[in-house]
Amino acid sequence: MDRIEDLLRELSPRVLGAVVRRYGHFDLSEDAVQEAMFAAVRQWPVEGVPLDPGAWLITVAARRLADLFRSDQARRRREMEVTLREERLAPTADSPLSGDDSLVLLFLCCHPLLPVASQIALTLRAVGGLTTAQVARAFLTSEQTMTRRITRAKQAVSDAGAAFQMPSASELPDRLAAVLHVLYLIFNEGYATTSGPGLHRIELTIESIRLTRLLRRQLPDEPEVGGLLALMLLTDARRPARTDAAGRIVLLEDQDRSLWDADAVAEGLALVEEVLPRGPVGPYQLQAAIAAVHAEAPSAETTDWPQIQALYDLLLRVSDTPVVRLNHAVAVAMTRGPRAGLQLLDRLKAEGKIRDDHRFHAVRAQLLERAGRTEEARAEYLRAARDATSLPLQRYLNERAVGLTDK
Amino acid sequence: MKYIILTYASQADFDDMAGAPGAEHSWAPEDFAAMGAFMESFTADLAASGELVETRGLAAPAHTRRVRLQQGVPVVTDGPYAETQEVLAGYWVVECDGIDRATEIAARLSGCPAPEPVRARAYADVRPLDEFQEPAA
Repeated sequence: MDRIEDLLRELSPRVLGAVVRRYGHFDLSEDAVQEAMFAAVRQWPVEGVPLDPGAWLITVAARRLADLFRSDQARRRREMEVTLREERLAPTADSPLSGDDSLVLLFLCCHPLLPVASQIALTLRAVGGLTTAQVARAFLTSEQTMTRRITRAKQAVSDAGAAFQMPSASELPDRLAAVLHVLYLIFNEGYATTSGPGLHRIELTIESIRLTRLLRRQLPDEPEVGGLLALMLLTDARRPARTDAAGRIVLLEDQDRSLWDADAVAEGLALVEEVLPRGPVGPYQLQAAIAAVHAEAPSAETTDWPQIQALYDLLLRVSDTPVVRLNHAVAVAMTRGPRAGLQLLDRLKAEGKIRDDHRFHAVRAQLLERAGRTEEARAEYLRAARDATSLPLQRYLNERAVGLTDK
Repeated sequence: MKYIILTYASQADFDDMAGAPGAEHSWAPEDFAAMGAFMESFTADLAASGELVETRGLAAPAHTRRVRLQQGVPVVTDGPYAETQEVLAGYWVVECDGIDRATEIAARLSGCPAPEPVRARAYADVRPLDEFQEPAA
């Protein structure tokens, strides 16, 4: 059963891509393919998997699409521009699946005309092959809400007449950036919560890695795709060490590195080595390179901080965000001492870019602690704990504050 | 039928859970982990039985902003609650056979591990959602 499910999820974007390419009408095609998938789940375990499962799915989806066209036609006859004849819906004999179609589909689902939340939902359903219920559960929302979001997104794609084709060479960089952004958001949504009712979200991490692998197979020469995959693998490798047995947060510097997933680390490191020299170097490659430097260090003490700082210097040039500035300040504190890091934080604050962000206060507390300014560090940890909105994080920050007074 | 199960806590309760210095009934790491594990399996059971519609936990009441009209203009107040005032802390929307079943679900929450004084005060409310139904002809 699991084997059939894996096979279906693998085939789903390619089947949908093939159906949309041939018949257009993204929204109806998507419904038709979902129904073909349900038919396969019912029939294959009983009747066996067909010789050419992809062709089987396309045939069933095309039949269903014909029905949908007819009922759609009856409903809004005047709007219908084409009348589809039954013959046109017969599957062709040639092998109908090409990997390109799932790539085009991914670009379509991450279309900039859709709100980002819809891009995510549509990508998980249409490309990831998750059911609406699974997507809804991953985002802790009801199936009805998710159905509405996905339906509206599909209509928006159809209404805009978005062409089912690869973006042109001039559009590609922006469109690819949008796709990578969506995949990274899915990853982070899964990575942010690993406990509580968010348990299901680990699936999102796995799913985002699977989709990024798929993208990399299609676009092996885009270094940012490899960079993002490496970043995901190297980050996810640390998951077993991120919390202790009691569920407490463990910072990178305190993690038991023997718990890291060695296979994921090895794959991530190999990817970084492969894509980094290719240039031009984008933000995902740089973040992956930073994660790689951490991964290569046998212990926190042996971390090559000068190299990390140099990479953050580069990252700031391509992606000057408050979070990157904060991490840059930490790296500077590790190479040139806490005072240099604190000066960067003061400048960041003076520029008004950080306002009441618990991360700013947490980093400042850490640097003050390292500088031996214990009382200020304590106040800053408590401030960060007050500003944070997650109980495990608050507990961690309060513990650090309380721990300081004991010294 | 859909019901909402509501749980309540004060800012003081949140400070206890967050391990803030000077908190009255500080939660030990084991207490906090036990609560997390309980909530995880409680919610997973509801998802498995198909009764869970959605669930959320809320951040501490101190983060609340209240917006109300004053002389026709919306005015914002930060952290409008008193320290010990109990306010919404989290909810589950469930779809089940009737209010008795929803109450049964809510009653399971009384098994949630917590420091004794917290357990003694804790309660949950069960309320039906307003769902329009066609009147019988």
